[in-house]
Amino acid sequence: MPDVHVVGAGMTHFGKHPDRDAADLGAEALRDAIADAGIGGRDVEAAYCGHVFQGMVTGQRILANVGLAGLPVANVENACSSGATAIREAALAIRAGEHDVVAAIGTEHLTSRFRGALTPDESDPEAAVGATMPAVYAMRARRYMQEFGMTRRQLALIPVKNKTNAARNPLAHFHQEITVDDVLQSRPIADPLNLHDCSPVTDGAAAVILMSDRAARRFGDGRAVRLAASALRTGTVDVEPTSMTFEPLTWATAKDAYDRAGIGPDEVDFAEVHDCFSIAEVLRVEGLGLFDQGEYPAAVERGEADIGGRLPINPSGGLLGKGHPLGGTGVAQVVELVKQLRGEAGDRQIESARVGLAHCRGGKAVGIEGAACTVQILIR
Amino acid sequence: MTRSATRVSFRPGELEVHQDGSGNLLGSRCQSCGAHFFPQRGICSGCLGDDLETVRFSRRGILYTYSIVRQSTPAFEVPYALGYVDLPEGVRIMGQISGCDFDEISIGMPLTLSLEPFAEDDDGITLTGYRFRPVEAAIA
Repeated sequence: MPDVHVVGAGMTHFGKHPDRDAADLGAEALRDAIADAGIGGRDVEAAYCGHVFQGMVTGQRILANVGLAGLPVANVENACSSGATAIREAALAIRAGEHDVVAAIGTEHLTSRFRGALTPDESDPEAAVGATMPAVYAMRARRYMQEFGMTRRQLALIPVKNKTNAARNPLAHFHQEITVDDVLQSRPIADPLNLHDCSPVTDGAAAVILMSDRAARRFGDGRAVRLAASALRTGTVDVEPTSMTFEPLTWATAKDAYDRAGIGPDEVDFAEVHDCFSIAEVLRVEGLGLFDQGEYPAAVERGEADIGGRLPINPSGGLLGKGHPLGGTGVAQVVELVKQLRGEAGDRQIESARVGLAHCRGGKAVGIEGAACTVQILIR
Repeated sequence: MTRSATRVSFRPGELEVHQDGSGNLLGSRCQSCGAHFFPQRGICSGCLGDDLETVRFSRRGILYTYSIVRQSTPAFEVPYALGYVDLPEGVRIMGQISGCDFDEISIGMPLTLSLEPFAEDDDGITLTGYRFRPVEAAIA
């Protein structure tokens, strides 16, 4: 199986950009990634664009903005895993031998599409009775607290950690460090979750340039990072109620990725995981096998998930701190992995990191554990 | 009988409403392996059988978890209690919780289906939806 390498990585500032749109942001990220790869625009052979709410042919609009209209491009929607799925499609195109240099872009201008709590599609029976995404995660948090004895203060340490990391990330949505009391005193959204437990409504885009072995030898210049696995799974329909405090879908996807990369969870040096809500980070890292079930909150309390800790989680600031432009998120996670593995992460650099993991999970449909889940492993 | 006295389900495929005010959630049961599904499905995810029958679910269940929702879409007045209720057939149903104060709600409490006015259609007709209530409140 031929290897795939990430050679270029770029992203826009994540935040509120009232004067911009998804194509404009995507074009900025793509130009940044092309420049980072040290190639010319004409070296790109194809592109995949992940977004959720940006309308038809967003990828084509991005390519037109950078002068590359005419290339094969496909637009990918997989809820919050859209950008990560675009990377997987790009990697598959290279593995299939069809292309040597492929761009994957993730973009979202979310502030022009949504305000406040995101909800499942309006056709969904759970949306019809009042489901919101914060409410679903709030219910999981309450159940987890009951089963494992996690305290509200322990849960608050996750946004505190991620916003501390975001303060060291110039491209993050938030730059202000917060305290546990700030979390506990922020506006209630869905008990027990408050505003600081929720990722913000963010505009932003990210892009990566993937290459075959052959192209990476030509263009890599020692900066290529191997994409050792890019796994995608979708949730199954429950035939009986399953635990909402563990994620079989996250584990199944992770297992595919670990097997493909030839490593186990104990070899992961750091991870970017889908912390759309504070409780989500707990469920993700335990579902990925990075921490034992029920033990992550205490591990965070001991500092194990800090940038200087045993296993740093979300050094970029995560969705809580860096922001969550849905389609952009999965690509931005891989951008962070590349920066960390190259030693280019500045004030938030993790010492001697060799193996990084990125996890996305998104979408809600009745009776399905999770709509789309991706795990990518990068090895330097 | 005037038209407004007729009870209309807010989602007829999921909630059957009888004219006496009672009703049931509807789902599917796989005749091959016995698995139950909500909402109704045509193919069983357990055994891929396609011989599924429509069933009326039990009205009583146990609260698996819940939240008090304080920010929602314009379609819903906040705050409201939202929970997941496990029914004996082996399905977990999301619904709002009514008939008690928020601080009386706890994981594991028995609840029963309650048909209540839930929304209006485009013609202003009141639609009947469902919530879950504490068993005692429903009896009283």
